[in-house]
Amino acid sequence: MDAGALLGQLVVGLSRAMILFIVSAGLTLVLGVLRVPNVFHGSLYMVGAFVAWSVAEALGGHPAGLWLALAAAPLVTAGVGLAVERLLLCRLYHREHLMLILFTFGVMLVLNDLVKLLWGPTYRSLVPPPSLQGAVTVFGVALPRFNLVLLVAGPLVAVGLWLFAHRTRAGKVSRAAATDRDMVAALGVDVSRVFALAFAVGCFLAGLGGALVAPTTSITLGMDHSLLIDSFLIVIVGGLGNLWGALVGSLLFGVTQSVGLLVWPQFAIAFPYAVTAAVLLVRPTGLLRSAW
Amino acid sequence: MVNGRIVAGLLLAAGLAAAPAVLPPFFVYLLALVLVTGLLATSLNLVLGYGGLYQFHHGVFYGIGAYIAAVGITRLSWPAWLAFVAGPLAAAAAGLVIGFFCVRLSRLYFGMLQLSLGSLVWIVALRWYPVTGGDNGIHGIPLPAALQTLPGAYALVACTVAASLGVLWAVVRSPFGLTLQAIRDNPQRAQVMGVDVRAHQLAAMVLAAFFAGVAGVLYVALERSVFPNMLFWVLSLEILVMCLLGGWFTFSGPVVGAAVLVGLRTLVGRYTEYWTLVLGVLLILLIFFLPEGIMGHLQRRWTWTRAPSPHPAAAGGTRG
Amino acid sequence: MTDRMWRVLVAAVVAVSAVAGAGAAPAVRFDRNIKVGVVDTYSGPPAVFGNDALNGFKLALQEINRDGVHGARIEFVTRDEKFSPEIGLSMARELVLQERVDVLVGTINSATALAISAFAREQRVPFIVWISKSEDITGAKGHRYVFSTGENTAMAGKALAEAMARRGFTRFWLGAEDYEYGHRITNSFWKFMKRAKPEATLLGQTWWRTGEPDLVPYLTQIQQARPQAVFFGTGGAGMANVLRTMKVIGFNVPTAIHTAIDVTVLRPLGAAAPEGVFGTTDYLFYYPDTPANRKFVQDFQAAYGGPPGFPAFHGYITGYFIAEAFRKARSLDRDRFVEALEGLRIPTPVGEVEMRGCDHQAVLPMIFGVTRRDPRFPFLVGGDLVTIPGRDVMPTCEDIRRARERAQ
Repeated sequence: MDAGALLGQLVVGLSRAMILFIVSAGLTLVLGVLRVPNVFHGSLYMVGAFVAWSVAEALGGHPAGLWLALAAAPLVTAGVGLAVERLLLCRLYHREHLMLILFTFGVMLVLNDLVKLLWGPTYRSLVPPPSLQGAVTVFGVALPRFNLVLLVAGPLVAVGLWLFAHRTRAGKVSRAAATDRDMVAALGVDVSRVFALAFAVGCFLAGLGGALVAPTTSITLGMDHSLLIDSFLIVIVGGLGNLWGALVGSLLFGVTQSVGLLVWPQFAIAFPYAVTAAVLLVRPTGLLRSAW
Repeated sequence: MVNGRIVAGLLLAAGLAAAPAVLPPFFVYLLALVLVTGLLATSLNLVLGYGGLYQFHHGVFYGIGAYIAAVGITRLSWPAWLAFVAGPLAAAAAGLVIGFFCVRLSRLYFGMLQLSLGSLVWIVALRWYPVTGGDNGIHGIPLPAALQTLPGAYALVACTVAASLGVLWAVVRSPFGLTLQAIRDNPQRAQVMGVDVRAHQLAAMVLAAFFAGVAGVLYVALERSVFPNMLFWVLSLEILVMCLLGGWFTFSGPVVGAAVLVGLRTLVGRYTEYWTLVLGVLLILLIFFLPEGIMGHLQRRWTWTRAPSPHPAAAGGTRG
Repeated sequence: MTDRMWRVLVAAVVAVSAVAGAGAAPAVRFDRNIKVGVVDTYSGPPAVFGNDALNGFKLALQEINRDGVHGARIEFVTRDEKFSPEIGLSMARELVLQERVDVLVGTINSATALAISAFAREQRVPFIVWISKSEDITGAKGHRYVFSTGENTAMAGKALAEAMARRGFTRFWLGAEDYEYGHRITNSFWKFMKRAKPEATLLGQTWWRTGEPDLVPYLTQIQQARPQAVFFGTGGAGMANVLRTMKVIGFNVPTAIHTAIDVTVLRPLGAAAPEGVFGTTDYLFYYPDTPANRKFVQDFQAAYGGPPGFPAFHGYITGYFIAEAFRKARSLDRDRFVEALEGLRIPTPVGEVEMRGCDHQAVLPMIFGVTRRDPRFPFLVGGDLVTIPGRDVMPTCEDIRRARERAQ
């Protein structure tokens, strides 16, 4: 295994890790602040991909079409998430985890079937604008040009979230609510509004991940399955509610699989799970500090 | 009251025995499938409802039981009886290993570790093509002639499920079972009273895994196939939903939940491909109007005095 | 006339009527319609193939039901197996036990086909496979009740291997989806490649999950190994992804994939499909350009808005095979149907096709070509086309017999 091949696979794994990060960041936010294991997070990712496709199709190949799609899709998923939260979920916060899992599982089933109803069962393809088509050679490896967008988007999202969490009032209150919501409520803050905002941001990120992945793969029913479990494991490995933990976890996942292909191609898909299991055995609460 | 239960039980047993003669073949098959799935869900509920553990990947033990039997018969030329005994034993062993690591954690972390360990097993089944058939699974598994017919397979399923449920019922009522519930309700208090919490939970997991393995080999007897989906997390989540849907503080709840899910999939699935939408809406309605599940609700309606007290957290205590 | 002459006359009349009566068979009328149960994938990426096959089948039924088969129409019901053998098997069970279909038809997933085939044998229900290509379906695991109206991996592997050998490629990398079809087509390709060129070497192989969405790391790793040529064993779930990824990263290694030149694969991808990929298929809507083929394409296009691919062709001939077999059998009895179907020859848009009796495999030609742009269409087509007759690529009846014996 030469250094060139290794570096090449590393870069490839990095771009996949960026998608995982964006989606997992949303999930860790929801789990950290609201303590809701949101099983329909993956469905929102899928909805984001389909909406992005629809918007881009509607604009008929106009170069700005993709960017508009990238902006519109997360807003749609944020809206859907907010609607579910305000109408139904907010009444269930006092219930136990298993009930929340059951509820979000039910919403997942409904959302998945709605996607099938609206877009039909066949798969869709989204072609990036000409400036982003083709590939660039990085360390001797042909990397799809669009993946460069991913490599930029990931850190941007990370910075954006950090700014939100540490520099805005809403973000600071969310962090406080994650640690001790009763205290925050006692201080006179409307905790339910904080929750609504945090949930909306989480769903926004899920949709953004889906929209970003749309030009690189077949947009199809069932694309949420593997992503959902990967996100949950990443969030646990990184530490519940911990943004940097989500980044670390995503990097671990993305890179171990792509580099693993050079080492043991047949079982490379096992590496992320093996790493997760190893981490949880040694540090059960995750690599970095978790909110609860 | 007790008499009523015995009469109901006898009627049920008579109904099950008569089914192959009375029902058309497809419904006999469906009934057998409900029984197998019901046993699987009940085995999960031993650790979930009675043990309070977040067993998120119970399907692993089901799949291991089924695959060991399938691989044994097709690749190792084992006789069927050996395969059917080896399956649950292997599942129990897996329960011991996975349980050993998981019981050291609590709540969500317990479930997540189980998910990642279980996913490793799934990947082995998925990629070890020569042995497990990879993405295909194994089908057309040869069985003794008596089991190749639907009535024969049904008979095996019905008798085994009845016996297994009987054993599980006895376990739940036994001192071990009561201790388990005490641990569920308040682990610290149980610990202080001298109960070895981890040992009890581990034992419960091994038992639950064993019966999941039994369900697995019964599936092999019924379908003569195994599929890697049995080890995928989606199925485990479905079994969890069955328990919650049927009522996870009742003994019969999981079987009812299994019946509802299998029934929905097959019967509603014939009229609309959007049967999962129906299920999703049903679940959401259930959370708001029937939080104790179907059987939980019915039991509360039928008895004036409450059954063993529900989990304190369900009554509105703090989570986390 | 004398008494004797009258007697002779009456005897002659009786004799002639008896002979005439025996020769002209009494008209048969079926007392109910023929019911066909279709199990296929109608969701996800493989759905394009399932829909194509069903459309071809429906077109055939439209034509057949105008006159009917002994007064009966052919009806059908469909079930979605979602590319899962588990679901497919339970759907087949429901169709046979509950819907009481006369014939089972389907599917695209080779593993599902094998699972349903085992079930069909047990229930003694005829099962006609129209897209799944594993050679085991009519080969080692074939039996009295299973038939195939599509080509299989033995035929495709041989055609592709010999064509690639003729082009002088010897150092290969194999990549495939880790399921029944992926293994069969890849093994078949390599077996025939070694036979055609014993000095051919395998640099390595990569197996990925069926329907894996992100193939970039796999393809980049293969490209880095610098093989002379590549063979991909991808099926319904992975075809779109592998071709799209090849184009995006500019995968510049000569590659062979079965069905790469088929319109069902190339049309949805449009401009996203790569040129220069070698492939085989058993039907093309533009080749051969015979009047019969043109008419079929015209009718299909008018009904469904696009040209037919190989699944549509298989679906179409399946409809006619079923109709003609019931017509010949003159009975709704399944065993008589099976006997009538063996060795049956029917006219099709590309000539006569025979359902070989020894293995229940339709004798279909293989067309080899390379993907390239065509000004007539908004999608790629196959160029440099070469046809190889079915008999030249099919295993012999003796091979089949031995394979089935070994499997016992």
